[in-house]
Amino acid sequence: MKAQIVSALKRRRHGPVLTASKLLLASYILVAIAAPLIAPQNPYDPLQIYGWEASSPPGTRGSGGYLYLLGTDGLGRDIVSTILYGLRISLVVSIVSSALAALIGLTAGVSAAYFGKWVDIAIMRLVDLQLSLPTILIALIAIVTLGPGIDRIILALIIAQWATYARIARGVALSEANKPYMDAARLMRLPTSRIIFRHLLPNSIAPAVTLIPIEVGHAVALEATLSFLGLGVPIDKPSLGSAVANGFQYLLTGQYWISLFPGLALFGLIASINLVGEDVRRSLDPRNHSL
Amino acid sequence: MPLISVVLGRLSQAFLLLIAMSLIGFIGVHSVGNPVFNVVNIETATPEDIHAATIALGLDQPIWRQYLAFIGNVVSGNFGTSYIYHLPAFELVMSKLPATLELASIAMLIAAPLGTGLGLLAGRRSGTLFDRTMVKASVSALSIPSFWLAMMLILVGAILTGWFPSGGRGLTASFLGQEWSFLTGNGLWHMVLPALALAIPNIALIARLSRSGTIEVENLDFTRFCRAKGLSSRRILLRHTLPNISVPIVTIIGLQFGGMLAFAVVVETIFSWPGVGKLLIDSIQLLDRPVVMATLTFIAVAFVALNALVDLFYAVLDPRVRLSS
Amino acid sequence: MQIQSRFCSHRLAALLISLTFWSGLPGPVHAQEELRIATSYKLMTLDPHYANLNENTSLLSHIYERLVYQDDRLDLQPGLAVSWRAVSDRQWQFKLRENVRFHDGSPLTADDVVYTIERIRDFLKSPSGGFRSYVTGIESVSAPDPLTVVIDTNGNIPNLPLSFSSIFVMNRPAQGFQTTEELNAGRAGHPPVGTGPYTFESWSSGEVLKLARNDDYWGGRPGWPQVTFRVIESPAARVAALSTGEVDLADAIPARDVASLKQRGARIASVGAARINFLQFDVERDRLPGVTDKSGEPIANPFKDALVRRALAMATDRGILVDKILSGYGTAAAQVFPVGLPGTSETLQPEAPKYDEAKALLAKAGFPDGFNLLLAGPAGRYPGDGESLQAIAQSWARIGVKVQPAAAPFSVFNTKRAAGDYAVWYGGASGEAVDIILHALLASPDPESGNGALNFGHYRNQAFDAMLARAESIQEGPERNRALAEATEFVMADQPIIPLYHFHHIVGYGPRVASYAMHPRGWTTAMQTLAATE
Repeated sequence: MKAQIVSALKRRRHGPVLTASKLLLASYILVAIAAPLIAPQNPYDPLQIYGWEASSPPGTRGSGGYLYLLGTDGLGRDIVSTILYGLRISLVVSIVSSALAALIGLTAGVSAAYFGKWVDIAIMRLVDLQLSLPTILIALIAIVTLGPGIDRIILALIIAQWATYARIARGVALSEANKPYMDAARLMRLPTSRIIFRHLLPNSIAPAVTLIPIEVGHAVALEATLSFLGLGVPIDKPSLGSAVANGFQYLLTGQYWISLFPGLALFGLIASINLVGEDVRRSLDPRNHSL
Repeated sequence: MPLISVVLGRLSQAFLLLIAMSLIGFIGVHSVGNPVFNVVNIETATPEDIHAATIALGLDQPIWRQYLAFIGNVVSGNFGTSYIYHLPAFELVMSKLPATLELASIAMLIAAPLGTGLGLLAGRRSGTLFDRTMVKASVSALSIPSFWLAMMLILVGAILTGWFPSGGRGLTASFLGQEWSFLTGNGLWHMVLPALALAIPNIALIARLSRSGTIEVENLDFTRFCRAKGLSSRRILLRHTLPNISVPIVTIIGLQFGGMLAFAVVVETIFSWPGVGKLLIDSIQLLDRPVVMATLTFIAVAFVALNALVDLFYAVLDPRVRLSS
Repeated sequence: MQIQSRFCSHRLAALLISLTFWSGLPGPVHAQEELRIATSYKLMTLDPHYANLNENTSLLSHIYERLVYQDDRLDLQPGLAVSWRAVSDRQWQFKLRENVRFHDGSPLTADDVVYTIERIRDFLKSPSGGFRSYVTGIESVSAPDPLTVVIDTNGNIPNLPLSFSSIFVMNRPAQGFQTTEELNAGRAGHPPVGTGPYTFESWSSGEVLKLARNDDYWGGRPGWPQVTFRVIESPAARVAALSTGEVDLADAIPARDVASLKQRGARIASVGAARINFLQFDVERDRLPGVTDKSGEPIANPFKDALVRRALAMATDRGILVDKILSGYGTAAAQVFPVGLPGTSETLQPEAPKYDEAKALLAKAGFPDGFNLLLAGPAGRYPGDGESLQAIAQSWARIGVKVQPAAAPFSVFNTKRAAGDYAVWYGGASGEAVDIILHALLASPDPESGNGALNFGHYRNQAFDAMLARAESIQEGPERNRALAEATEFVMADQPIIPLYHFHHIVGYGPRVASYAMHPRGWTTAMQTLAATE
């Protein structure tokens, strides 16, 4: 699978926008990993923050030898550092939740297709229920029920996203299940779990996997939106979304930098994920190979 | 006969949805905290006051009994009384509806023609610089989280230029017994930024759809025939291509209108637009359970009903589509 | 196609320009004499006795009046009563104002006061308790003549007149009692009738209250023929409505918006609120959730030791809270009311942080390395609440106390606090007078007497209880105020709470208002405005 993606990435002709967004995405991931090394300040450590330097405009030189390149927020946190650390939270939350949602959704979809009967009905009823409401509403209800916290946000995003995977996986698995090799597997009396996990799942996985990058983009936006509404991450560990939200009340007073820069970072992140994701999806789509 | 079974299937599905949602929502709000602290003045209330208020709201009952009482009331058309406003919850939701409805309508009035037009143009000239720019722009526009788009509109349209107000509904005028903003100049002026915030992602979505439709239709025989007949490209586009791509576009408009009700939660919160979405968020913060339940139910019913309408429309307009359960 | 699309964009531009142009014009012309106020107060009911919340009473004070009026120094002034005196330890006599008429024309008599007390005490069963706590000490009430009210109390209540600065007087109907529903129905039921300067016109809950001038008002002709309150809960929307001239006055302006409002020509009035925001410790339990040593092991409750409380207070930088988080619209606090109000102490002044001394104190108390704690608070309830938690975390980190700030919506916060989930938390208190707050916040909790209703940390100090009781037995006046100040000084030396700040009530107003007199209780009324003359 990985080789397939890599070769697909290599095979494509690159437009300048696509190249730029791949570079951007790669650098996002790099700086997120290296954040503690390159961030001037640890915005989670109160000893490194100077409250008296709150709301400093970009370029201010602060005490402790800091140069606030993009200014500080209403509590004195360096915006650059907040972005770097927030990026980590946003990325971890969205990647983990999308991966788990894909895993759960795929298993559910394939199981529905394989077992049929009431399993199918039960799972697909649930999927239909969820897909008949907007994702943001599902995520909203989930986070209200679960309460705040990073782990809860991940859970809420899984709940909001698994159904999409389940529906696609079931469709593919249904057509797969009727193929001769499946009959062979059944005739060989392989155990059910082996049939599902070793044969049906790998063969149904491709169309669902192409969804993951796009869904990661969705997850970043969803997490940011929930955090913006005050239902997300803890106040002293801002994600990109809650960093933007913290700045919202200052926006009206002209202290634009508190929300503008984290917002730009967030936008760049989602846009690059989406552009790269579209590309991955198109190159893995068999119908596209002839083009 | 098949139509009836489809309708029945839809209805039972919607019913199931409502039951599941009400159960989760009810338990969710209950588990978050005790709304009684928003009802009494905590700074002056004695423990007895708090106890009395808990009993008065029926919150001393076990949760399952509260839920059964709630369902019983809903069956008789009563969502209960708002803990905060002392008004019937459903009435409260309905009183906020005009604000949301007019905002979503104006947003769609902007998005539908603009999106279709851009899509037609891009599809007609597919592969050109304009087309490629349009595609990338639409991906970007769909990438912007709605809350950040709204904030940027405030930054540019209100703070830097001072052209538009940064929030609120402005003046309203009475029509059909409801208050509407679009009837006053001041109200319309307040509506520009939030409507744009709702419209921009939809412009991108509709443009993408109409672009791919246009490309498909442009390659069909009848379009080539029209062109061979010497019809002007403008006439072909408007009289032949547009009607052919209208079905999916109308579909997405219907679906997105429902989506706007949900996304209004974000946009209305940022623009302090006193609609259904803002009511939902405020009520969640205040743990005003009757209002939360009434709002959730309303949004779900509206969304499901719109989906059903769109499907019906699809079946009527496009005979190739057959309804399937 | 190119041409056509350009044409379209012209049309769009024209539309946008025309919208912008409209914006340049003033809104629809209002009757010159109408005062339009954007308020944060929701006004949830027209029943003046339903709930003791500023959200109701601020707006209803246009229609209804009280026997006693509290001026902006919180001193008591004659309202509907021209005088009052304690006949004995257990009896009070109020003399009513002559020639006062209700809006329906009926005269104000002592029997209406009797009715008001009966309605609150015997009839209303509002979920919030309403004003019942103000009348529980009343044994009986009688009207020996139409302008005299005699009240017998079941104990010595020297501050009984203060209670009557909260209670609105209603007139007795032909029979029975007015119900809340009848009042809320407005014109369709029994519209509210009071003696106040403005009469009721119309109301829709959570949206608008319209009032008209009461030309027969006993206190002279009120300033505005019409007053319209628009309920706008979102601060940003109130600011927008004021800066676009849709309203003449907006209350509860966020401090950070003041500068930009001034730039746009609005004027600002502010006053330190008669209230306190503070940190409160649980000093009762032996183990506290979230309080651990540096290795994460639970430790015995450190807040039982006054040295620890004192050290934390010394390490709290109120300057950041007031200057940075409240943008200067707050006063650093060392006691329950801003200095200068009756019952406050001149000697208690907020101190600048002294980290070294604080660290030494902490070491003396046995915590040279500090400890970890979870600091809880509401988010979005009081100006600067959530941010304060984080700023305090920064301050305390300097003496080795590692703080995990946890902000939650107000009702969630209270649910958890009531369940004992917190060790130290941010709180707020307000009241008519210093003794009421001292009573609720610092007196030993006692469900019987209702003392210590806000003393959630169960702080007990019998010497202070005695001093407070002695002060409260003194009649209103300088002597009582001195005794209250001394009691405050005594108890604050023990640092049962850390007073943080008194935030300011901020009101903005436009050109049609000449001036606005702020009131520390945070009321928003037309009576506080002075109309600009052309």
